[in-house]
Amino acid sequence: MLVLKTLARLGEMHGYGIAQHIQQNSNDVLQVEEGSLYPALQRMLIKGWVVAEWRQSDSNRRARFYRLTADGRKQLAAEVKEFDRVMSAIVRVIHPA
Amino acid sequence: MRELWRKLRYRLHREEFENDLVEEMRHHLAMSAAQRGGSDAASRQFGNMTLLREESRSMWTWTLWEQFLQDLRYGLRAMAANPLFTAIAALSLALGIGANTAIFSFMDAILLQTLSVKNPHELVIFHWRAKGSPGVIHSVHGSMFEDGAHGQTSPNFTYQAFLNLRQSPETLSTLFAYITAYRLNVIAEKQAEHAQGQWVSGGFYRGLGVTPAVGRLIDDNDDRTGAPPVAVLSWEYWNRRFNANPALVGQAILVNNQPFTVIGVSNPEFFGVNPGMHPQVYLPLHALPLLATRVDQNEQNYFFDPHFYWVEMMGRLQPGVSRKQAEVTLAAKFLQFAKSTAESAKEREEYPSLWLEDGAGGLDSLRREYSKPLLVLMGMVGLILMIACANIASLLLARTSARRREIAVRLSMGAARMRVIRQLLTESLLLSLIGGLAGLLVAAWGIRSLILLLSNGKEEFALHASLNFPVLLFTFGLAVITGTLFGLAPALQSTRVDLTSALKQVRANEPGTRARRFGLGQALVTAQIALSLLLVVGAGLFDRTVANLHAVNLGFNRENLLLFALDARQAGYKDAALGHFYGDLLTRFRQIPGVTSAGLSQFPLAAYYWNSTEIRIPGNSKSGSEVATSVVDPGFLPTMQIPILLGRGLEERDVTSPRVAVVTERFAKKFFDGKNPVGQRFGLDKDGPADIEIVGVARTSLYNSVKEKETPPVVYLPYTQDLKGLTRVYYELRVSGDPLALVPAVRRIVHEVGPNVPLAEVKTQAALMDETIGKERTFAQLCSGFAALALIIACVGLYGTMAYTVARRTSAIGIRMALGAMRGQIVWMVLREVLAVAAVGVAAGLAAAWGMSRFVESYLFGMKQHDPVVLTGAVLVLIAAAGVAGFAPAWRAARIDPLVALRHE
Repeated sequence: MLVLKTLARLGEMHGYGIAQHIQQNSNDVLQVEEGSLYPALQRMLIKGWVVAEWRQSDSNRRARFYRLTADGRKQLAAEVKEFDRVMSAIVRVIHPA
Repeated sequence: MRELWRKLRYRLHREEFENDLVEEMRHHLAMSAAQRGGSDAASRQFGNMTLLREESRSMWTWTLWEQFLQDLRYGLRAMAANPLFTAIAALSLALGIGANTAIFSFMDAILLQTLSVKNPHELVIFHWRAKGSPGVIHSVHGSMFEDGAHGQTSPNFTYQAFLNLRQSPETLSTLFAYITAYRLNVIAEKQAEHAQGQWVSGGFYRGLGVTPAVGRLIDDNDDRTGAPPVAVLSWEYWNRRFNANPALVGQAILVNNQPFTVIGVSNPEFFGVNPGMHPQVYLPLHALPLLATRVDQNEQNYFFDPHFYWVEMMGRLQPGVSRKQAEVTLAAKFLQFAKSTAESAKEREEYPSLWLEDGAGGLDSLRREYSKPLLVLMGMVGLILMIACANIASLLLARTSARRREIAVRLSMGAARMRVIRQLLTESLLLSLIGGLAGLLVAAWGIRSLILLLSNGKEEFALHASLNFPVLLFTFGLAVITGTLFGLAPALQSTRVDLTSALKQVRANEPGTRARRFGLGQALVTAQIALSLLLVVGAGLFDRTVANLHAVNLGFNRENLLLFALDARQAGYKDAALGHFYGDLLTRFRQIPGVTSAGLSQFPLAAYYWNSTEIRIPGNSKSGSEVATSVVDPGFLPTMQIPILLGRGLEERDVTSPRVAVVTERFAKKFFDGKNPVGQRFGLDKDGPADIEIVGVARTSLYNSVKEKETPPVVYLPYTQDLKGLTRVYYELRVSGDPLALVPAVRRIVHEVGPNVPLAEVKTQAALMDETIGKERTFAQLCSGFAALALIIACVGLYGTMAYTVARRTSAIGIRMALGAMRGQIVWMVLREVLAVAAVGVAAGLAAAWGMSRFVESYLFGMKQHDPVVLTGAVLVLIAAAGVAGFAPAWRAARIDPLVALRHE
């Protein structure tokens, strides 16, 4: 979900950029093994949520840029909705009104 | 769907995908390193790159495959958990598949395979047939067999007819002739050994399109009067006996003591024109008189006598000419020839008419002998396959039904329906596969033992039968389909179950649906019992036949007799020298310790030998009828333990003054109305004097075979009476102890006295006679085996079904017992069901047996096809077997504890 959200916000980004973005935006709270990002991206490729393309990056290196597909946006919407539902439930349990 | 496509693309461009991933990760690391100022830190942050790649890869690959492996593991576990079921199911499949493949491989080898020569489908074999016995044919040397409504048919022609028909360029591109030379004595490198021989015309190899492997083959130039005698060896013989020595070509070998120069070896694929015989030495037809053993076997008779039919012919049709077209032309031509040879009104009465047979498969002697037995065997194994399939079906049916609960659990846990079906399918296929593989072993083993059974001790049996893969695939496919069908049908049904009710039923007990489902299961078991009954009846018939054959009163003692054949004429001994040679050997055999007596004869008794001739008894009304003769030495009758009833037996003095004979009781009865014939005289030649004096009467004993309907009148003549006609003889040694233990001593003596005379057909009289009833014995053994097999499979099927019924009805039985039913009543209740199924099966089987036993009638001896003893016996055996199979579940039913049974609900 985080990857999808990142791509939704940035449009197109390569793996390293996505990892950086997630780390920075979560104020370094969400620090995962950066490598595990790649199997996740592969899964999204299989599912057809993202497509990838080789291009020159800003630093003039060849990098693989990922972009969300329509399916990906749909999936993101579904996941965000589900997340909100679970989140609000958790919030209600922890902070009863 | 698109996901599948993407995965497929991954399959095809796997490397590209992998490289992309690696490069991408490297890029990440490089960026990270640049930022953090060190590649170590970047790597630490990134994690294990190989592991991550592995993880990505597994994502692209098939989950289906993984699941298949899962199913497979689960299937194997289920099999291991239920070894009896697995073993029985796989075994019955294996036997069904294996037996069918083995028998069909034989049928294929005998009935369907073509000769390994050029364009075998152009070949035609020549025959003639006639209703009566045509006068133009004075004598036939070769074979003759009944041809249904057509009368007699034979493949033998005169040489003049061969020359005449060879000039038919409009229909035949080539015509060649051949005739078997039977056993030859081939002396080479100072060793004498028997070999199968074949006489061939000059056009034989060219006509068949056979090429030499070494040297050259016989051609027209070798096959003419006065040509230097030459020989061609078969590849197999050249390799086996001469170690493929190329220097042999150009050297002389002795064939029946006559020198022949080896000119070449035929190619390895060529085995001759008869699939049942693989000649090793090929000689030109015109060398026949060289090996003559009788005066009349001269060039004049062989090649110029228009009434002596002896040579066999095969031709190759011109392209575009059909066999029927050629037959019309050639038959007219042959008729013209036959007419030209007729010299009297009697000879003009009937002419043989020529017909052509398809020659692609070679000569048909094997086919005639084995096609019917093989069809019967094929029928039997077909039944086995049906039983095996029915068994698999009923077992799977019962098992899948028993697993309804398990399936319900899986479904309720969220397993997809397809997933469950796929798993059941995997299990059935796994089972079929194991059965099929085991079937392969059974087939290979079956072919080996069938060769042993069918060859039946014959030395020259040379059938090539190999595993027939199309049949293997067919039977295997059948098994798989059966397995799938019956594994799947209940599976489909099970997966549609109403989960709650299925889950609640700890032991399913649905009286409503019971009848219907059980209908199929019981029908299958009934069918199995019916089929088993057929096989049991068959086994009974054949076993009784063999018992009857063994019970035949022989008239001599067949035990403890060693037999072997010698042909010293083939080694160059002639007439008086030959008689002395045989007599000297006999004296030496009698001195071997362990030999109680010894004799010799022209051929052994009751081994399908036959020699008959017209007898002349002056002043006797039956003069001119046929009598069977047996040429023996004085020791023969005592050795065979055939007692002399009147007069005396042959004695040593008869060897030197041999115009005497001992006749059988049957002879005395036929020609002298049972009066004492001693002192009477008769003659056996057409023209010679009737000067053979009867000196004694021996008890009648079997002559031709144990199956002979009527034993002919026999005269025993001293072997020295016709020294010119003396060729091969058999020695009979009565032995105390194991006859075969004396073989080395016999060999040593023969080697000392006549090193160029090889020993042949060394066996006991009992074994020889068992060979003559080999077909019956083979049938009895195979059929008994098949019947036992079928019975076991059917019983297992019955047991399985009943055990399952009892399990299903545990609570019902519990209630009955709680209400006061006695154990005996419960046992009877279950057994009654078993016996009902068995009775229906037996009735159906009896009806089928009644209709089908006529197919085997010709193999029976001493009884009718509807033998009441056999039928009753078979029924009793089946009922008993069913009772045994049903008793275990019945007993278990009776031991059900009502409390336990009811608590299940």
